[in-house]
Amino acid sequence: MRFYEKTIEIDKELSELDRFTIEFVNTIKKHTEYVIVSGYVSIILGRSRGSEDIDIIIPKMNEEKTKEMIEELLKKRFYCLNTEKDHFEYLNDKVALRFAKEGTVIPNMEMKFAKNKIETIALKNKIRVKIKGKEIYISQLELQIAFKEQILKSPKDIEDAKHIRLVAKGYIDDDLIKEYEGLLHETFNYR
Amino acid sequence: MKRSIIDRKEFLKQNQEERDSFVQRWAEFVRNNNDKIWSRQQNKIIDSTLKTSNITKEEYLKMKKKRP
Repeated sequence: MRFYEKTIEIDKELSELDRFTIEFVNTIKKHTEYVIVSGYVSIILGRSRGSEDIDIIIPKMNEEKTKEMIEELLKKRFYCLNTEKDHFEYLNDKVALRFAKEGTVIPNMEMKFAKNKIETIALKNKIRVKIKGKEIYISQLELQIAFKEQILKSPKDIEDAKHIRLVAKGYIDDDLIKEYEGLLHETFNYR
Repeated sequence: MKRSIIDRKEFLKQNQEERDSFVQRWAEFVRNNNDKIWSRQQNKIIDSTLKTSNITKEEYLKMKKKRP
């Protein structure tokens, strides 16, 4: 695994989850920017756990553009688990859409429009993972660590953050994690 | 027969310490080995997670709704 600037190069053998993710992002990239967040970020960096869903954030777009993207996904034999119509309305109402390959339920991609400052920053500051000649954009590691340690906080999330800190040691910017922690404290209600 | 009482807090603490220790050792393995080596092992976990499920779409969505 090689870390440089805003890129991580991984020469790994692909799992079923990786293949699914690559096919999905290759299908939508003509239509939209995207960033993958949460569990898959630690999994692609080698964390020893599985996941049945992958979280992806896209910028808010209009109904026509959304329709074009969905049509392309359907052409590639993806289907939406939670609705067959009104995809734009779902996304616009802050409801995530889940997509899997036809005939399957998992793995699936949970897609939503960016709806807050943190998700917009995740999109803006995304980093590139080069894997088997393909590219996947994931959230900046510092933001993932801060989010998992300060907001999500489940044992699984704390372990994910610890894994990222350890494998990317020397690449991680601790000051930036602190900066994101401050931003999260401003954005989320900490009751 | 004498019953032994296990302290739940202590049990959970010990369990978490073991998990943390594994996360640490596995991350070191990932750092110190070729990507192909660790990914072959990782893929066994990931692919088996996906293969063992024959849940329906309705069951899956219901389960996700229940989860916090």
